[in-house]
Amino acid sequence: MGLKIDMPEPNGGRLVDRVVKKPEIGAKMAAGCPAFDIKPTMFKGSPIRNVYREIVSICYGFFSPVEGSMVREEVERVLKERRLLNDCIFPYPLVFDITEEDLKGLGVEEGDRLLLRLKGQPFAVIDIEEIYKIDTDDLATRTFGTPENNPEVVREPFNEKHPGYVIYKSLNPYVIGGKFFIVNPPKFREPFDRFWFPPAEARKEFKNKGWRTVIAHQTRNVPHVGHEFLMKNAAYMGDTEPCHGIVVNAIIGAKRLGDYPDEAIIEAHAATNEGKYIKPERHMVTFTLWDMRYGNPIESLLHGIIRQNMGVSWHMFGRDHAAVGEFYDEYATQILWGEGIPSFGFEAPPTDVYAGLKIRPQNMQEFWYCPVCGEIAYKGNCGHIDEKQKFSGSFIRGMVREGVFPPKVIMRPEVYKAVVKWWKKFNYPFVNSAYLEYKNKEGEFDLPAMEVSEKR
Amino acid sequence: MAYNMALLLDSARKEKIKGTPVEQQIQKLFGGEVEAVIMEIPEEHAKKILDEFTTARIDSRGFLEDIPVALKRAIFSEVASKGSTGPEVLDATLAKLDEIKEEAKKESEYIPPPEI
Repeated sequence: MGLKIDMPEPNGGRLVDRVVKKPEIGAKMAAGCPAFDIKPTMFKGSPIRNVYREIVSICYGFFSPVEGSMVREEVERVLKERRLLNDCIFPYPLVFDITEEDLKGLGVEEGDRLLLRLKGQPFAVIDIEEIYKIDTDDLATRTFGTPENNPEVVREPFNEKHPGYVIYKSLNPYVIGGKFFIVNPPKFREPFDRFWFPPAEARKEFKNKGWRTVIAHQTRNVPHVGHEFLMKNAAYMGDTEPCHGIVVNAIIGAKRLGDYPDEAIIEAHAATNEGKYIKPERHMVTFTLWDMRYGNPIESLLHGIIRQNMGVSWHMFGRDHAAVGEFYDEYATQILWGEGIPSFGFEAPPTDVYAGLKIRPQNMQEFWYCPVCGEIAYKGNCGHIDEKQKFSGSFIRGMVREGVFPPKVIMRPEVYKAVVKWWKKFNYPFVNSAYLEYKNKEGEFDLPAMEVSEKR
Repeated sequence: MAYNMALLLDSARKEKIKGTPVEQQIQKLFGGEVEAVIMEIPEEHAKKILDEFTTARIDSRGFLEDIPVALKRAIFSEVASKGSTGPEVLDATLAKLDEIKEEAKKESEYIPPPEI
């Protein structure tokens, strides 16, 4: 048996690529189609999800082998077994939802092609396979589980305090199922453009860098020194040598009040290598468009799939991975990847089941500052439990809010400067209602002007 | 269950508690890079703060965080004037809740960025 690990194949064996690169072909595909302007999913007056991010991530292959908005039978299988109709693992229902009024106004039916516009421009088309009604309460509950049905890891019934539950509950009642094509590819704006590595490009980039083994760090936050130590230490795992590369993949999408703006998150991570705390030759920042569902073990499956599709060999998972509140066991993700969660369809870890994932988990404990050791210490090593000083993102946010320059043992100065750069732009260090409005209007990219004929 | 709150100290704040019993409570964190007074927040006060300020939360250390600067500033002001971190500080602070919420509202729209 060889010990060296090769780049894993994509989930399902091939990367999805549903992006039409030539505008004239895109315009031709959209010609004569009824058109619909994409709208955000709203909750209490705030945009909490926008389906265009799912369309981008599907068509560029981040969610391979998913190719579109799921048909009813596929949604059911995902909810029951976390598998697609082709047996590949996938954790979340992905649907293009629409109101009854909009559906009637469009007058479309199965077999039709619908043009989806964004920011007034043609963006994508969907080839309609099925139109069906959903029960959003049921969908929201079954997506995340219940203490009765998933007693291994669900601790509290989900409710409106959970942002992912609220996304599913707030969907429109009708779904148009079918495959997407992006007919007018997005042009990412600064600062996102320099971090845009869809799976096919990420794989090429890893090869160009000579990276055989790569470990992924999931983030939705500005990095503090605890995150930096997590990345550096988790990367000692590799094969015959530590991982060649560390890839930060930021989840960019709808934000909660009080989070850092996406622009600050992504540039702050880049500042970690620009400041050489991790050599730029070994560290790469990327992103995926997705409105986080905060589904802890369920979300970790999506993270595993995205990063496997990007060609990543290992994924670090910590305590409370992609979690909010106390709905799940704080180690639910590590339970899934360590032993499986039968009630969610995994009798064994997702790597050890039929058509399993090829990315390998690196379940990590946390890092803290230990005044006795006089250094940043790993929970698995440091026995000074009573003396530990934990890194807390909210403690650091409080420091930032009060105008205190964080000491470099907590946040690197380059990272803080990236936060301040975007603070100056938005007049606020965190997400507030003005940022939400900006984000909803501008998104992350622009679309070139495209003329589409009304006739086929 | 009681929670905690960390009041960060700079030189101006340290001057204000100089000579009071609170000075003895100063803790050095992260190798002495951060100085703070850690005060206990009884459950009923914590609940009130969580109810009144939607962003407020208890973090993984059991600390009350993500609260407006206006509230922290008001609590520190009472700590300095009373020379205590006891529950009477929170009673006095929360008696001015309307005023604090008004300040906090402004703070949700604009916080001046530091000049660095």
